[in-house]
Amino acid sequence: MKFNIILLFVAIFVIGCSEKESVTRYTSWQSSQTEEKIIRSTLSDFDKVHPEVAYQFQPIPGNYPEKIQLMLGTGKAPDLFWLKGDTSPAYMSFDVLEPLDPFLNKDTAFDQDDFFPVFRDAFKHKGKNYGVAKDFNAYVLFYNKKMFAEAGLDTVPTTWQELYDFSKKLTKDKDGDGKTDQFGFVIEPSIDIVMPFAYQNGAEIIDEDGNVKIGDKEFIEAVEFFMSLYRDGIATNPADMGAGWMGDVFSRKQCAMTISGAWLIPYLRDNAPNLDYGVIELPRGKKKSTLAFSVAMVIPKQSEHKEDAWTLLSYLNGKEGMKTWTESGIALPTRKSVAEENGFYDDPVYSVFMNSVKYAKLYKINMQERWFDESQAAMQGIFYKKNDIGETLKGLAKNLEKYKLD
Amino acid sequence: MKFKSRKKEQFFWGYLFLAFPLLLLTVFVFFPIGFAFVVSFFDWNMLIPDKPFVGLGNYIELFQDPVFIKAIKNTIIYTLGVVPVQTLLSLFLAFIMNQKIRGRAFFRTAFYIPAITSSVVTSIIFVWIYSKPGLLNYLLNSAGVESNIDWLTNPVTVLPSIMMLNIWTTSGYFMVSFLAGLQNIPASLYEAAKIDGASQWQQFWKITVPMVRPVTYFVVIMSLIGCFQVFDQIFIMSSGGPDNASTTMSYFVYQNSFKYFRFGFGAASAAILALLIFATTVIQKKYFPPDAY
Repeated sequence: MKFNIILLFVAIFVIGCSEKESVTRYTSWQSSQTEEKIIRSTLSDFDKVHPEVAYQFQPIPGNYPEKIQLMLGTGKAPDLFWLKGDTSPAYMSFDVLEPLDPFLNKDTAFDQDDFFPVFRDAFKHKGKNYGVAKDFNAYVLFYNKKMFAEAGLDTVPTTWQELYDFSKKLTKDKDGDGKTDQFGFVIEPSIDIVMPFAYQNGAEIIDEDGNVKIGDKEFIEAVEFFMSLYRDGIATNPADMGAGWMGDVFSRKQCAMTISGAWLIPYLRDNAPNLDYGVIELPRGKKKSTLAFSVAMVIPKQSEHKEDAWTLLSYLNGKEGMKTWTESGIALPTRKSVAEENGFYDDPVYSVFMNSVKYAKLYKINMQERWFDESQAAMQGIFYKKNDIGETLKGLAKNLEKYKLD
Repeated sequence: MKFKSRKKEQFFWGYLFLAFPLLLLTVFVFFPIGFAFVVSFFDWNMLIPDKPFVGLGNYIELFQDPVFIKAIKNTIIYTLGVVPVQTLLSLFLAFIMNQKIRGRAFFRTAFYIPAITSSVVTSIIFVWIYSKPGLLNYLLNSAGVESNIDWLTNPVTVLPSIMMLNIWTTSGYFMVSFLAGLQNIPASLYEAAKIDGASQWQQFWKITVPMVRPVTYFVVIMSLIGCFQVFDQIFIMSSGGPDNASTTMSYFVYQNSFKYFRFGFGAASAAILALLIFATTVIQKKYFPPDAY
């Protein structure tokens, strides 16, 4: 009697759980309301073009990677979702994503060659495409125009040496109390800030054949130059200033230059509306290079609505969809034609990002994600414990061998 | 319904009422705990259907992992630092709060508030307090102690700083337990001691401390378990850095299970943590039983 009622509830619960999803589900993370508004408006454009595709947009508000992992593991993954470029190698090597090549070959209107080369092949693994780069960001140099004028500088730094010299000239003790209160530059002991310098010096973390290169001479040199900026007192560090990150130091006018991606632009608009800043390409080392970040749109192997998911993907990352998504400048387009149409090549700020794309390297290391935490710990050791740079990096290189993916 | 004896009837109805909570506990607590042990013997990646059995492989690898060794060390230092200080402080606070002093209600509330505040909030506040231009350095400098470090990025100070935060947040919570214990001590004991000429200090050590021993037992066990499992503060304040100076065992478990896709390895480290907590509790029960006065 009473047991039967309980049993009935349990049965309903179980049936409710195993119900088949009948429509295509599209999932992203949520970073801001502005962003979500644009996503929804792009989707309503899609509805007009493809009314036949039934789908649901289900953003995940928090703990995105953990949730996606669990959904994939339990066979409940959304049919189309976002994947951060730096976490993608693990997913590709675990073979949970659907190769998109058949769709790419069939859907000629998608025009893959319109993508910038670095993003066209961004999510290629063992010769197959597993994702489409939906937008990107890249490290460039932001500088404070007023501070440059005060220091009598009317050019911008274009080489490492100039970056060093400019930083020195821009470092000042304004109130004469013996403490520096304006630094030329700001750095953080974070591997992703070091990487552009390393790439510019011809170094790599891991090469195409899977050899770990982080202990090589070129990498050590780059870290030594990077550290010299801080050691010589011409660059500060967010922790020293009680700031959260490098862009925060820049917005408080405590440093004249910082490396950042385009995410600093809205931050400055909100937190330092009067700051007159300029954006330039990163100063070059032996060659020009920078780090580009991208997010992939992927379809999991387990999806039962791959055709519809592709139709959605193809529209969102097509010329029209990407234009709606990027024209406000909230994200940067990975398609050349869209960048042109948005007028980003004529914009003094966006053109810098577009030009950086030519030589940027994607932030995507073919290793288990532990490589990042190990490298981060090594950088912190160098920075906070003054560990020897060469020794630390050589030890790190040995250590990272374990985390290679195939 | 007919029952053969009253005992059987009680048995039936008792378990009937317990059935639903027990079912929930089994599904969501007992089974996962047992299953975690099973997982720890496999190379368990959620995303790969093939989950090979590796026997003790994960455990062997754990003890060869320098980060895990560091995590054990940090966790033990953390626990050894926090538990005694926290227990003494909360007993001391309770002792004072049990006196008839002015504004007692206010102080009781003030000491208890950190315990009911979300640990995320207190952690973020302390990130500011510990920063280079933060309150702690300001106070130290005002007191004439030259201090210009960032407490959370300095490998020497990061762990003690987080320990201080934990002592502050949980002392108030355990103070309430001690208060309850103190109020159970008959006033006649103190009166007798006073007649015999015992000082306040003697009363505290000879009457209060032994009489609250069962509470102390509870407090020490609870704070031991809490300390061994410390996670939120680490996650928010230092992410285990700098250079793993504040990586604790639960943080290691989280990193491996959810970031590196290694559930088996994470489960094995969780099993070691569980074993450590279990062993400490058994030792405590054996050598410091609750009612040995």
